[in-house]
Amino acid sequence: MSQIGIIAQREYLQRVRSRAFIIATALGPILMLLVLAIPIVMAIFSRDDSTRVIAVVDQSGEVAELLSFPDNFRIEQTTAPVDTLRSRVDGGQLEGYLILPDDLVSGAGEARYYSRGGGGILLNEQIADAVRAGVREARILRAGAPAAVLEIMKERVPVRMIQLTDEGERADSTQVLAVFGYFMGFLIYLCVILYGAIVMRGVIEEKTSRISELIASSAKPFDLMMGKVLGIGAMGLTQWLIWIGAGIGLSAAAAALVAGVLPDGAFPTDGAVAGGGAAPVNPIAELMPDIPLMFPVYFILFFLGGYLLYSSLMAAIGSAVEQEADAQQFMWIVIMPLILPMVMIVNVMSAPDGLVATVMSLIPLFSPIVMVVRMAATNVPWWEVWLSLILLAGAFLLAIWISSRIYRVGILSYGKKPTFKELARWMRQA
Amino acid sequence: MLLVSGVTKQYRDTLAVDDVSLSASPGRILGLLGPNGAGKTTTIRMIAYITTPDQGTVTFNGQNVGPWSQRVMGYLPEERGLYRRMKVGEQLEYLGRLKGLARADASRAAKSWLERFDASEWWSKRVDELSKGMQQKVQFVSTVLHDPELLIFDEPFSGLDPINADLLQSVILDLKDQGKTILFASHRMEQVEQLCDDICMIASGRIVLDGSVREIKQSFGRDTVKIEFAGSADFIDSLEQAERIRVVTRTHQAVELRLLDSTTPRHVLDAAMQHVDEIFRFEVVEPPLNEIFISVVGESTARAKQAAHHQGVRG
Repeated sequence: MSQIGIIAQREYLQRVRSRAFIIATALGPILMLLVLAIPIVMAIFSRDDSTRVIAVVDQSGEVAELLSFPDNFRIEQTTAPVDTLRSRVDGGQLEGYLILPDDLVSGAGEARYYSRGGGGILLNEQIADAVRAGVREARILRAGAPAAVLEIMKERVPVRMIQLTDEGERADSTQVLAVFGYFMGFLIYLCVILYGAIVMRGVIEEKTSRISELIASSAKPFDLMMGKVLGIGAMGLTQWLIWIGAGIGLSAAAAALVAGVLPDGAFPTDGAVAGGGAAPVNPIAELMPDIPLMFPVYFILFFLGGYLLYSSLMAAIGSAVEQEADAQQFMWIVIMPLILPMVMIVNVMSAPDGLVATVMSLIPLFSPIVMVVRMAATNVPWWEVWLSLILLAGAFLLAIWISSRIYRVGILSYGKKPTFKELARWMRQA
Repeated sequence: MLLVSGVTKQYRDTLAVDDVSLSASPGRILGLLGPNGAGKTTTIRMIAYITTPDQGTVTFNGQNVGPWSQRVMGYLPEERGLYRRMKVGEQLEYLGRLKGLARADASRAAKSWLERFDASEWWSKRVDELSKGMQQKVQFVSTVLHDPELLIFDEPFSGLDPINADLLQSVILDLKDQGKTILFASHRMEQVEQLCDDICMIASGRIVLDGSVREIKQSFGRDTVKIEFAGSADFIDSLEQAERIRVVTRTHQAVELRLLDSTTPRHVLDAAMQHVDEIFRFEVVEPPLNEIFISVVGESTARAKQAAHHQGVRG
């Protein structure tokens, strides 16, 4: 077995058999369920089904009947003076009051809604939508348009985007595809936090336990770094496979359980609550089958590449510092390149074949996230995908090499906190 | 045969090793001597292929050192360390495999070495459960278990109690008899004197003296006097004040002193006879290595270095 293999094997076996691994593997899904459950529970509790009582003072006399509010609104038409309404709002009997002036339909005036402001953006939007629709209808009626026109105005017109690809047509799901980018970014981030940190700590431990000099007389630092990153990577994969296996079993049980417990409509579908702002009703199930067959394979390849690259950067940070606390000053090396493509996802989606998206999808630190979004959004030529993968692999080797250079000098000079300038020198002199 | 020729290593603003050449032969122990900071460890690291020299070459059996030589070399660094949470047996197997042994061979060798150190029952103990001295033995086993041709021990006795130090010394002499090439670095001159066949003194990155211990000592001649006596020791002080001698070691009723300039042994004996009540021993001997070292690098620098070193060790 090669040195890398021996080192990776030790890293893997030592860690997989450790109590920490067993506990983390057992508790992981419980924590994840909690993390998943919290937004759902919050959505249930934050969803305000209480009846909103709103007074409407309709000075125009023709709009109020045309207003249509969601079911939980109770509308109270009134002519009571503003002072009375105001005191009722202060007293809590009214959510607020809406004043529709005389000249609103003619286009001169503006509707005003007075409240203490506790209803949130959603409530305000609902009121504004209702008023706009009502006034529009009143104007159409005033113009003497036939009832048919009114019906036409109220109709929803379905529009569907179809993308032409080499394999034929598929639904254009650009907005949904952003999910893949965010998911990839999140996944890499999570793994760097979970396992990259272990790599970093392992490298630091190598130095604090003073074994590094003994190891350096038996193996090349490059092999040591490579073995560590691969061994700990394999440990991470093992953990995920256990979780996925357990998850498939658990989710079946959990789905049944959740379905029984939650009231109907607990999952908001109007896109306003759960953050799926751009997504229409349940689009993922509808669109998933249109993703090309090879996509999951590339997704996994880019994930592995990204994860290995970022872990080896963590190894480099570990090589540069004496103790974990000192690592903070270098963490941006890992955080910044992860955040940048996440911020750029919207741009990449809007022009997936543009120059920025193309270049970013080839740059190793960004490509795992950007290329996955591009591949979902458009038809990326195969050679670009493979070029990106090869560059990613090259960057991984380079990062391991850099970290081994830093390590080699780092072990020879105990107790010094290096600056960036010194690190550059270390790389040259090692 | 280990051959270091014209090796130089520069660290930013210090010249750690300056044109050092030395050789070590199979079946002999070469002592690398000098205070800490003299360049011993840097030289050793270049031999162990942990760093590479800026200039010069290091060869073992005629070939440049590299990954291949690491496999036939055992290195006990001054900075000791093992994986703390790993079991002793697994750890030794791992380190043996890194040196190219198959797992079964590494296991067998580790077991027999642990037996020799009377430590078989540590096999499945974690390293952090062991005492410092026990860890040191495990570390030594890791150095020798792959039966290396070249052995480098950097301060191997530090932290060992006398019994274990004796045990280790006999093991090292055994390895020498087996024809291994052994490099032994220390700043403890008396240990080097006991163990080494050849020495190489290094100070401020340069070799100041090398050769066989026997020849070096002979070349310095018999200029040291050992006296055991009873009674007043005033004669020592007055001789020292007159700069006729320098005291090497001194206890209540025994002294070892070095003759300076034209002082003869007889001169010292005369002085002693006039003061002491009785003389039990008077012997003219070769100077200890420590004295030779001081003569070579100059008294002031040597004293300064040793003082600095002692402070460094305590601090």
